[in-house]
Amino acid sequence: MEKQVEFVELDGQDEMDVTAADPDDPTPGDPATDRPATDRSAPKARPAAKFVYPGGSQPLDGYTIKRGVGHGGFGEIYFAVSDAGKEVALKLIRRNLDIELRGVRHCLNLKHPNLLSLFDIREDARGDTWVVMEFVAGACLADVVATHPDGLPTEEALTWFHGLSAGVAYLHDRGIVHRDLKPGNIFSDEGIVKVGDYGLSKFVSCSRRSGQTESVGTVHYMAPEVANGRYGKEIDIYALGVVLYELLTGRVPFEGESVGEVLMKHLTARPDVSALAEPYRSVIARALEKDPAKRFASVGEMTAALPQPEHPQQIAGQLPSGSFGSAGAAAGVAGAAAGQSPFAEEAAAASPFAEEVVWAETVDEEPIYMALRDTVRRGRDAWDHANFATPVKVVILVMAMILLAVTAQIWLPLGVLALLFYGGYRIVRMIVMPGGSSTVRVTRPTGPPPIPPARPARPRVDPALAKTQPGGRGRYRHRETPAPAMVLKTPQERLTELLGSLLLSAVVATAMCVVMVLLNSYQSATPSAQQCAWLGLVSVAGAWAVLIPSKLWEGVQGETTPRRFVMMVVGLGLGALAFGVATMLMVDLLHYPEFPHDGGRHFPSGFYAVGQPLAMAQMACFGTLFLLMRWWRQADPLRSSRLSLWSVVVSAAAAALVAAIWGFPQPWLIMAAGAISVSVQLASPWVHPHRRYRRQQA
Amino acid sequence: MYVPATRLQGLIAMDFRGTHAPDRFMLWVDAVGGYWVCTGDEITLGQPVGSGVSDVPILGDLSRRHARIRRDGEGYLIEAIREVWLDGRPVAGVAALVDGSKITLGSAVKLVFRRPHALSGTARLDFVSHHRTQPSADAVLMMADACILGPGPHSHVVCRDWPHEVILHRQDEQLYCRSTGALQIDGRPCRGRGRVSVGSQVQIEGFSLCLEEIRP
Repeated sequence: MEKQVEFVELDGQDEMDVTAADPDDPTPGDPATDRPATDRSAPKARPAAKFVYPGGSQPLDGYTIKRGVGHGGFGEIYFAVSDAGKEVALKLIRRNLDIELRGVRHCLNLKHPNLLSLFDIREDARGDTWVVMEFVAGACLADVVATHPDGLPTEEALTWFHGLSAGVAYLHDRGIVHRDLKPGNIFSDEGIVKVGDYGLSKFVSCSRRSGQTESVGTVHYMAPEVANGRYGKEIDIYALGVVLYELLTGRVPFEGESVGEVLMKHLTARPDVSALAEPYRSVIARALEKDPAKRFASVGEMTAALPQPEHPQQIAGQLPSGSFGSAGAAAGVAGAAAGQSPFAEEAAAASPFAEEVVWAETVDEEPIYMALRDTVRRGRDAWDHANFATPVKVVILVMAMILLAVTAQIWLPLGVLALLFYGGYRIVRMIVMPGGSSTVRVTRPTGPPPIPPARPARPRVDPALAKTQPGGRGRYRHRETPAPAMVLKTPQERLTELLGSLLLSAVVATAMCVVMVLLNSYQSATPSAQQCAWLGLVSVAGAWAVLIPSKLWEGVQGETTPRRFVMMVVGLGLGALAFGVATMLMVDLLHYPEFPHDGGRHFPSGFYAVGQPLAMAQMACFGTLFLLMRWWRQADPLRSSRLSLWSVVVSAAAAALVAAIWGFPQPWLIMAAGAISVSVQLASPWVHPHRRYRRQQA
Repeated sequence: MYVPATRLQGLIAMDFRGTHAPDRFMLWVDAVGGYWVCTGDEITLGQPVGSGVSDVPILGDLSRRHARIRRDGEGYLIEAIREVWLDGRPVAGVAALVDGSKITLGSAVKLVFRRPHALSGTARLDFVSHHRTQPSADAVLMMADACILGPGPHSHVVCRDWPHEVILHRQDEQLYCRSTGALQIDGRPCRGRGRVSVGSQVQIEGFSLCLEEIRP
C-alpha cells in the first residue's frame, strides 16, 4: 500500500488525487461504498469532497454553478445552469493535458440515446478547461445497486443491462473503448439508461497517473489484462460481465479486503457463478474469461445470448436498425437492435484489438525479420507450453548450450556473415524504400500484417503474463508497468521471498556450474578446481545481483533506462568481485581452444596480463552484460513460464557478444550468464496459472 | 414604554441582522443534491405559470393550483384542489399524510411524503415520477423549526459521507446553522452555531452547502 502513495507523490499528483489513492481506504471490498465519486455516491472513507467553486459562482461565462456533484475521473463535476436556464453538468479539467481532451473531442458528436451527451468544451478566463455535458437528474446505478443488496429483479436488471450494452455497443462501433464501465458511470434519466464518462475515461490509462491511483474505485470492474496495459474493447465486455453479475446478485464477483486482493482475484480467481441461473451463468462466465480471446467477440454477441426484458425501453418514432446506414444511430434503445445489427458485428470482426494497432505501427515490417521473429515466437511458445518437467527442461537447455558451444566455430562465422549480409540488405532496403513500414501498410490496406491475426488464436495460457515475456511486445514499451497484484506485498513478505530465492539460487547456480563443467570437461581438458570455484561463486553472486534489485522493483513502476543503469553499476560491482575471487583463488581463466579468440587485438594495459583478465576487463564485461539485458524481467513472478528457453539463450548470446567485444576468455562468461539466468528463473517466485485456479477453488 | 422599546429593538434587528427568514429558498448541498425549502406552514403545488401562484411549481400536467399541503400541529394534511390521489385512492377534500404516503397529482406526477425524523415537524416530498420543480430540485422540504442534514437515515437531507449532523433551524424568525463540527459561514469560522441567510455559504469540515434565493 505504501507503494501507491509513492507513485502518487512521484507523479506530482495534486491533493485531490492523493485522496483518491488513500492507502488506508478500508472500503474497496464493499461494493456499496467503493464507488466512484458521483452524485450521492462518494465512498464513505474518502476525505471531505472539497469543491473549488461554491454555489453561485460563475467561473465559466454564461453558466452559474449551483452545487458540486462529485469527483469524476478527471476533475470536479458541478451542476450548473446557463443564463437561459439550461441545466448542465460542468466537468472541470484542471490538468489541461491535450491527450486527455482529445478523447472528449472525439466523443463530442456522438449521438445515442444511451449515452450521456457532451455539449461542448470551453476554456475559462483562468485557462482551465470545462466540459459541458448533459445533467442527469435520475438515479445512478451505483445507488440503485446499493439499495438492492441481493440483486435487482431480473426484469429491471435486464432493462439496465440492455440499455447499458446498447450504449457501449455504439461506442465500440465508433471505435471507442469506454475503459471505465462501472455502476457509478451509469445513470437513468427519465427511464432511459445513460452511460457517462466515456470520453475522458479513454485516456485514463495512458496518462501518467494510470492504474494505481485512478482506478482505486474501479478495480472491481477491471479486466485482468489491464494490468499489462492492454485496453481493447474486451475490457468493456469484461466490465459488462461484472456489472451484470452485480445487477443480478447485488455484489461484484471479486471482493476483497484490499485493492491488491481484488486485483489478484481478477488475475487468478474464477468467478462464482453457481448461484446464477442459465443463461446468465454461462454468459457471465464467458464475459469474465481471463483470456480476452475467449470472451464474447462483441457486445452484440453478449446481449444476443441474454433474454430481452419484457418491457424494453421504447422511444416513439424509432426507425428500424440500419435504415440510415448507420447502425449506432438507430440501434440500441431496445438493446436488441444493437445486438443483432449487422454493422456492429462487422465492426467487431474487422477492428483489431486496440493494442494491436499500436503494435503494427511500431513494428518494422521487414519480411525476413518478421518471418524469423514468427518462427522464434512459435518455438518459444512451444517450449513454454511443452509438457516437460522443469528438470528435463534444464537438462535439455544445458545440452543445447554445450552443443552450441562445441559447434561454435561452425555457426559463429556463418552467423556473423549472415548478420552482415542482412545488415547490408536492410540498409539498401531503407534507401530504396524510404519510410519502408508505411509503404508496406499502404500497399496492403486490407491485408493485415501476417502476425497479428494469428495472435488471438495462440495458445497463451494467461494473457496477463505476456508482458513479462522478454523480447515480446514489451520490447516496444519504454515504461515498466507494475502488475497491480504485485504492488501490495508487505515488506516482510518480500524479504522472506527474497531470502528464499537467494538460498535457492545459490543451490541452483552451484548445481548448474557443476553440470556445465562436467559436461564441458567431457570434450576438453577437465577444468581445475579453482576454475569451478570461480564459476560457481561468480554465478551465485550474479544471481543474487539480479534477484535483489528485481525484488526491489517488483511491482513498482519505473523506466527501463534508469534500471539498466543501476544494473550496470551492479554489474561493475560483480566484475570487481569476480576479479577479487579470481585473484584470491589464483584461478587460470584460459581460452578454450575451440572458441574463436582474437589474440591480436590490443586492449589497454589494465585489461589483461598474460591472457588473464584483470579488474578492468572483468568489470567491463559484467557491466556491459548487466547493461545489455533486462535481467529483472527474468525474476518477475508473472513471467510466461518458470524457465524460459528464450531468456537463457538471449542471456548466453549477450554474454558471447560481450566476451567477443572485450576479448574475455571464452566460454567462462557464457557459462556464468547461463547459470545466472537459469538460477534466477528457477529461484524467483512464479505461480503457474493452472495452480492459481486450483488454489482458488480449494 | 415597553411597546416602543420592542419596536425599536425590532427595527434595529431589521437593520443590522437583515431580513427575517425567507419563506422559500434553494438549499444546494455539494455532492448531495438541491432542495426546495419552504418554511411556511402551507404550500401550494401547481404548474409553473406566472409568478407566485404556487409555492412549489412542478413541471407537469397540473393545474396552476393543484393541491395544498398544510402542517397542522404535529401532522400534515393534503387538500385537493384538483385531481389528487393518495395511496391509490382519490382525495376528496382533505386527507392526512403519514410517512410513506404516495401522492399522485393529476395522472402522472407522483410524490412520496416523508417524515424521516419522528421528533421533527419537518417533512420532505420526494419525486417518484420523472417530474421536477421548476427550477429543478431533487426534493421539496417543508421546514418546521429545524431541518437535519446528516449521514443518518432519519436526516431530512441524507448526506452519506458527512461526519456530523448539521442542523438548520429557525429562531426568532432567523435562520441558524448548528453543528458539532468546525463550521464556517461565508468564510468566517463560527463556534457551534451561526446565523445564515439567503446567499450564505456554509462549510463544515470540507463539506459545503449554500442557500439561494428562489426567484419567481
